[in-house]
Amino acid sequence: MSGPEPAGAVATALPLPPEAPPAPLPGLPWALWRRQLAAVVRLELRKSFLGRRALGLYLLALAPPAVLVLRALLPRAVSDPGNLGEATQLMAGLYQGFILRVVIFLGCVAIFGNLIRREVLDRSLHFYFLTPMRRELLVLAKYLTGLVVSLALFGASTLISFVLAYLPHDGRLRSAFLLHGPGLGHLGAYLLVTALACAGYGAVFLTLGFFFRSPAIPALALFGWEAIHFLLPPVLKQLSVIHYLQALCPVPFSEGPFALLSDAPSRWGSICGLLALTAVLLTISTLRIRRMEVIYLDD
Amino acid sequence: MNRGAAVAGENGRGDRIVFDDVSKFYGEVLGVNRVRLSLPPGITGLVGPNGSGKTTLMNLMVGLLRPSRGTVRVLGMPTDRPEALFRRVGYATQYDAFPPGLTGYQLIESLLRVHGHDPRQAAAWTWQALERVGMVEAAGRKVAAYSKGMRQRVKLAQAIAHHPSVLVLDEPLNGLDPMARAELIALLRELAAAGLYVVVSSHILHEVDLISDQVVMLNGGYVVAEGDIVEVRDEMDEQHPAQVLIRCDRPELLAARAFEQDHVVEARMLADHSGLLLRTRDAGSFYRMLNQVVIDQGLIVESVAPADANVEAVYQYLIDAPSGNGGAS
Repeated sequence: MSGPEPAGAVATALPLPPEAPPAPLPGLPWALWRRQLAAVVRLELRKSFLGRRALGLYLLALAPPAVLVLRALLPRAVSDPGNLGEATQLMAGLYQGFILRVVIFLGCVAIFGNLIRREVLDRSLHFYFLTPMRRELLVLAKYLTGLVVSLALFGASTLISFVLAYLPHDGRLRSAFLLHGPGLGHLGAYLLVTALACAGYGAVFLTLGFFFRSPAIPALALFGWEAIHFLLPPVLKQLSVIHYLQALCPVPFSEGPFALLSDAPSRWGSICGLLALTAVLLTISTLRIRRMEVIYLDD
Repeated sequence: MNRGAAVAGENGRGDRIVFDDVSKFYGEVLGVNRVRLSLPPGITGLVGPNGSGKTTLMNLMVGLLRPSRGTVRVLGMPTDRPEALFRRVGYATQYDAFPPGLTGYQLIESLLRVHGHDPRQAAAWTWQALERVGMVEAAGRKVAAYSKGMRQRVKLAQAIAHHPSVLVLDEPLNGLDPMARAELIALLRELAAAGLYVVVSSHILHEVDLISDQVVMLNGGYVVAEGDIVEVRDEMDEQHPAQVLIRCDRPELLAARAFEQDHVVEARMLADHSGLLLRTRDAGSFYRMLNQVVIDQGLIVESVAPADANVEAVYQYLIDAPSGNGGAS
């Protein structure tokens, strides 16, 4: 809401609303920021994620469940329905080899890498820059939108994949595994890793969006780096996001005979490290947007 | 006090839009250079051909661009604090692009919500703005399906929806049909009369001439003139004698008396012998002489009008002047 007008201000031409907004209270305008944040999230969801543009993302999120459905259709897809270990290994391989490294990674490139870049390509960034909203808040609102969308899509994808991985197996064993065994713990861990992956990769690609006109090249470089992470010496492993995410996965996944072994980071170390990385990258993004100019590509 | 010092002195004032020695370079390309302006309330027209720096100047005014040198303050506010600036400023850009998938109503209402207004107030102000630009009936249609003129109007509605004190409009008349142009000009005059600062750009000079209280003329990134157009014209009398069109019953008599004056450099009879087109270096002296002829000789004057005291003529004189980027103010 607008505060008291400085001396020398002219009267507004349009009639003021019947109830003039109250003067802001001293201190930080949390209520205003909350309203602005909610408004940007609402607008971003409407214009970017509920239309045809998001179709590719939906298909990407559906890929892991689709793989499991196709597998279930194959004859003798499950060699022993009484062996839940088979499903556990399948889920571990699918999650760490496909969902985490490909689906979530590419999804975050598409979602977060385009939060700012797409606005520049559409020549619509100025609409936000012409509102009385702190630009730092705009970055946070956009990041939050990306987080909501990526968590909804890839969280659901992980959850459905988990269910589908165990579905062909014996129902009694499945219930025991889920309700009395480590099943829910595994699911919780996968969802936690998904959330941290979205937060971490999201912050990386949001930040890259400020420094590169096209996120494809840095994304490809990072994809390669994450892909060869298992070949890296221990010191360099610590510079990859996947190193910390894998440490949080509930079931280890073999990366083959050429993998260089290293000590896995601690659980809390991984969580705190990923959150710290996210915070640092968001800070860089907010500093960057504060000084950003609107110069569209063909101006 | 010289003009630069005057602008510097006004920099802290809260009742002007002040550019203090502002330059903007895009790499090595000049946007605008050494701009010193102090814009009062009313309608200010930014005039110049494409590439003269109008949009750069407007984008600097609202903080979409940052000056390479100098400072810009709008009603005392720095332009790098959007949270304060855009409570008071509305800007309709020249960009003909909109967030995808939104209707006209959704566009304006959503952005008012981003301003921080509650849903009820945002809805009320959205309808009010749409009504002012005559877009109520099309409010529910997607902006992507709008004609050029409708997009111009919805941009204007978005710029005025939050009741700004400063309205900046980049080429607002582009794409409007004559009726819509007349309505927009009337709206701008109404807003200016209510005390708003309205800054309008156009490369069509006679449009600016029609609506502006004062003009800023730009060429090649430099301000070549600013102020009231008639005053600017008067300062150019020596280099470009003023043209006056007089319709009267005895033009030959007036021509004879005119040639007795040192300041009259040319007098041409109109083809239908209904008057004279006269060029003078001192319009004031000429009008006094004309009054004298009317009194002494009983000359019947039907009309007297300056023939080149308009933006188009002045602009042409300025950019054709050998002194280049100097300029009157």
